Amino acid sequence: MAVPALELRGLTKRYDDGYLALDGFDLSVPDGAFFGLLGPNGAGKTTLISAVTNLIRVTGGEALIFGRPHDSMDARKLIGLAEQDINLDRFLDVEETLLYHGGYYGMSRADARRRAHEMMDVFDLLGKAKVRAPKLSGGMRRRLLLARALMHQPRMVILDEPTAGVDFELRLELWEYIRRLHAEEGVTILLTTHYLEEAEELCEEIALIRGGRLLARDSADGLRAAYDATTLADVYVKAMADAAGAAA
Amino acid sequence: MSRGLQALTGREIARVLKLWTQTIGAPVISSFLFILVFGLSLGGRIKQIEGFDYDVFIVPGLITMAMVQAAYANNSASVFQAKFDRYLNDVLAAPMKPWEVNLALSLGGVVRALLIGIALLGASLLVVDVPIREPLVLLVAVTLALALFSALGVVVGIYAESWDHTAFVNNIVILPLTFLGGVFYSVDVLPSPWEELSHVNPIFFLVQAVRYGFLGTSDVSVWLALGVTAVLAAVCIAWSTWLFATGRKIKP
Repeated sequence: MAVPALELRGLTKRYDDGYLALDGFDLSVPDGAFFGLLGPNGAGKTTLISAVTNLIRVTGGEALIFGRPHDSMDARKLIGLAEQDINLDRFLDVEETLLYHGGYYGMSRADARRRAHEMMDVFDLLGKAKVRAPKLSGGMRRRLLLARALMHQPRMVILDEPTAGVDFELRLELWEYIRRLHAEEGVTILLTTHYLEEAEELCEEIALIRGGRLLARDSADGLRAAYDATTLADVYVKAMADAAGAAA
Repeated sequence: MSRGLQALTGREIARVLKLWTQTIGAPVISSFLFILVFGLSLGGRIKQIEGFDYDVFIVPGLITMAMVQAAYANNSASVFQAKFDRYLNDVLAAPMKPWEVNLALSLGGVVRALLIGIALLGASLLVVDVPIREPLVLLVAVTLALALFSALGVVVGIYAESWDHTAFVNNIVILPLTFLGGVFYSVDVLPSPWEELSHVNPIFFLVQAVRYGFLGTSDVSVWLALGVTAVLAAVCIAWSTWLFATGRKIKP
């Protein structure tokens, strides 16, 4: 059996203020999957991603990336992350952003230069190579975030609400980039989103989460059948209502 | 040296060079003005201190002051900005060991301070004849000073929750202690209890160690001065190492 791209076993995160964001979370994402995480604000989506990418301290459980502990150097190289917030280095231009990122991930200067050129070409940023991040338009910054996440050729890319707050045209453009990445390079994609149509349009499998717990996971069709619903929106409403009822 | 360490160090140095008017030009000019104003204009009216003209006597302390302030300010600002803008996450997620991230972030301040020190010494030599009598002591003293204040800058950058916090330590702690640390005078001339109180100021020992490297003379034993600076440097390095190793205050 193939090693899953991501395997979470009892992953738990309790913040210093006592808030339990992940409560013994179990999840397995197959290699090559396009996997969506859906849930309301505070469901634990970003915490889950931050735990997997070593941006927070995990309280308990384990996370494996292609069978390796998530905090190992090997595992880190296999993940690309595009966070929800535009977190670009204000002192670097587009090309430097990619080159330094490549360096952080152990790429040689020559490889990083070649790959950066390729990424700028793919994401239509070649004309802005020497422009610093704060001077870029919102759409360009989003594209640069994606290019940076892909720079070191990760086997799994984690996209945390990549289209939050972007206009419809840019959303379609980003969908196209992400689809192409998955189809042409076979990269595993873990996507969190608030947009139900985005999850349905892009993801082969969707997990619904709330209160740091997994409620259900299946394909969009499977979820509709399981919840006896005609749309994913109905599934979402029913699943969240069930969870709220159970919690009460 | 791993590629990650090289890249992050390169990024820190690139930041210093891109902002060179603020990071290097301004402190060199302001410190050089101290030498001109205090040394050349007032120096003629002050008798020699420890066998040196006043304008020569103050140069080691002023270079020390400029360098340690730069090392601290650079690292506290760079780390706080990286945290505030969240681009530190790109580094924290990368396959770099905690000590590599810590070291790379520290080296930006070291490079900036060295560039300032060299520029200021060069400018000073144009107007005063400053000797370097104990180059080995000077090398050790500068190394310890930069290790201490670079690590302190990283620590404060990690704990800071606003720009005010980083500025507070510089303006309320480092700057006054530097001025009271014998940069402009020998503490031997102070009346009691001020002379004794000067000996609890850690920066006093640092200034003495650097001054001994330049002039071959100091108000206290050079070994004591180097020892105190080394202990403080070790404490700050251990502190920053602990923060990166545990992720405390860096990762929620």
